[in-house]
Amino acid sequence: MALDEALLIETIIQVSAAILLSPLYQGIYEKLKAFVEGRRGPSFLQPYYDIFKLLKKEVVVTENSSFLFIYTPYVVFGIYLLISFLIPVVYPSPIYLTPTVDFLGGALLFSLASFLKLISSVESGSNFVALGVSRVLSFIFFSEATLITVFFGVALITGTNNPYVTLHYLTQDISHYLQLDHVLITVSFFMLWLFETGKLPAESPGLSEMGMIDDALLYEYSGKLLGILKWGSYVKQYLLGSVLLNVFLFPWLLQTGPLGALLDVFIMFLKWLLLILISVIINTTLAKLRLFKVQDFLAVSFILSVFSLIVTVLIG
Amino acid sequence: MVNAQLLELISASIIVSALYIQGQAYFKPTIYAQAIQSALISVLAFYLGFALNLIDYIILGITIVVLRSFIITYFLFRGLKAKPGIRESTRGVASELVVNLAFFFLAVFILYYFVLGRIGLTTEAGTATLTIFSFILFFQGLFLIVTRRSTIAQIIGFIEEENSIVMFGILTLPIPFLIEVSIFLDVLGLVVITSLLTLQKLEHTRLEELMG
Repeated sequence: MALDEALLIETIIQVSAAILLSPLYQGIYEKLKAFVEGRRGPSFLQPYYDIFKLLKKEVVVTENSSFLFIYTPYVVFGIYLLISFLIPVVYPSPIYLTPTVDFLGGALLFSLASFLKLISSVESGSNFVALGVSRVLSFIFFSEATLITVFFGVALITGTNNPYVTLHYLTQDISHYLQLDHVLITVSFFMLWLFETGKLPAESPGLSEMGMIDDALLYEYSGKLLGILKWGSYVKQYLLGSVLLNVFLFPWLLQTGPLGALLDVFIMFLKWLLLILISVIINTTLAKLRLFKVQDFLAVSFILSVFSLIVTVLIG
Repeated sequence: MVNAQLLELISASIIVSALYIQGQAYFKPTIYAQAIQSALISVLAFYLGFALNLIDYIILGITIVVLRSFIITYFLFRGLKAKPGIRESTRGVASELVVNLAFFFLAVFILYYFVLGRIGLTTEAGTATLTIFSFILFFQGLFLIVTRRSTIAQIIGFIEEENSIVMFGILTLPIPFLIEVSIFLDVLGLVVITSLLTLQKLEHTRLEELMG
């Protein structure tokens, strides 16, 4: 019984950290980016202010939109909430509901959420959104393929489809971490993460200019629904980033036990600061990519993930 | 004793350099990447030379680095005629890369399961499966020639194919005499071809050379 209580505490800590702290990392990223660019920038709590403001506002829905438009934000948020139970985003051992799906199932859930977001955006009936969706689709046919290939590759390396086993395998020995297939797949997933979370220097989600990619999907949303979608995208960023840190880039230092779970929240914060620093350096030092070059970027990421598969299968 | 992981790492870097060449439209970085690729192959030769205490590999490494990394690079740059920032007008790099991927992915798996798996190639260093990298490089070079119209990219594709043969020879221990000789002659031939072709013109239209 005591074990179950411990498991419950660990579950609560992991899920609440993923849901509640995810906007904070976006805030820190924006603040640090502003600092590098010589601006004062918004407060690092700005994403929270935005979400609270939007949650209080009323929803305006276009006449043409169907029920999908209204209910999808809740479903998408629910999917991200479910994923936060499944993968090691804070705590390094399985928690409640973790055996529901495996690593590949997690990737498919991410894809499902993206698909639902696209469908519901088109349901608004706006021409501008349709334009944005076609633009997004011309990119994500690569990114979703890469996401699934990467998770597939991880499964092949360890011979299991469980991310917790991968985490354990990587921390066992440094030679596991430095395996060629793991290095290739880490680079591929890092490139994918940069794209998925809008950290590529191709778009400026804050400015909503012509090059905006992901913001076009949210164009017709307002009020509470927009707030939920924005919060969902912060959670998605946190989930993908934490998987990148814990299963690929930096799998060490995580503690076990209920107190260890609390400590893990702090350790994850430090790991995230490292990731934010790297992404700010990339975003501010590279020249801005032309929009259609994003496809090339994603193609390279896809190729690296498939190359990793070849290395895993043929060389071992 | 040969460390297979080190061979794997160098071989994978060679493939990454080939992928970079495929995705790069500017000539200058492409030529440099070719020089680096050849240098990596010579590193492979030097490593095996020192690990197995064989002088053949050292000589091969020196030959490769001198002829490919320096002389061919020099001739290719001479072919550019010092035009700064010159590039080939390539379109659809992403789709090219994906077709390329499908091409070498399929080719490699067919080779692995129907050829290499059946002939039971054994080498002293236990590197039989590593030869797959040389096949990937070969198909990569072939694909570069097919997809590009500029003389320089096509010559680099040809060099990549040559590199793949050398790589195959290096990884198939002990080094076959045929490869040693052919490399020397091929590269000498390459230098001559490079210097002639790049002086003619920079870009070719499709099937131009086949017309009577």
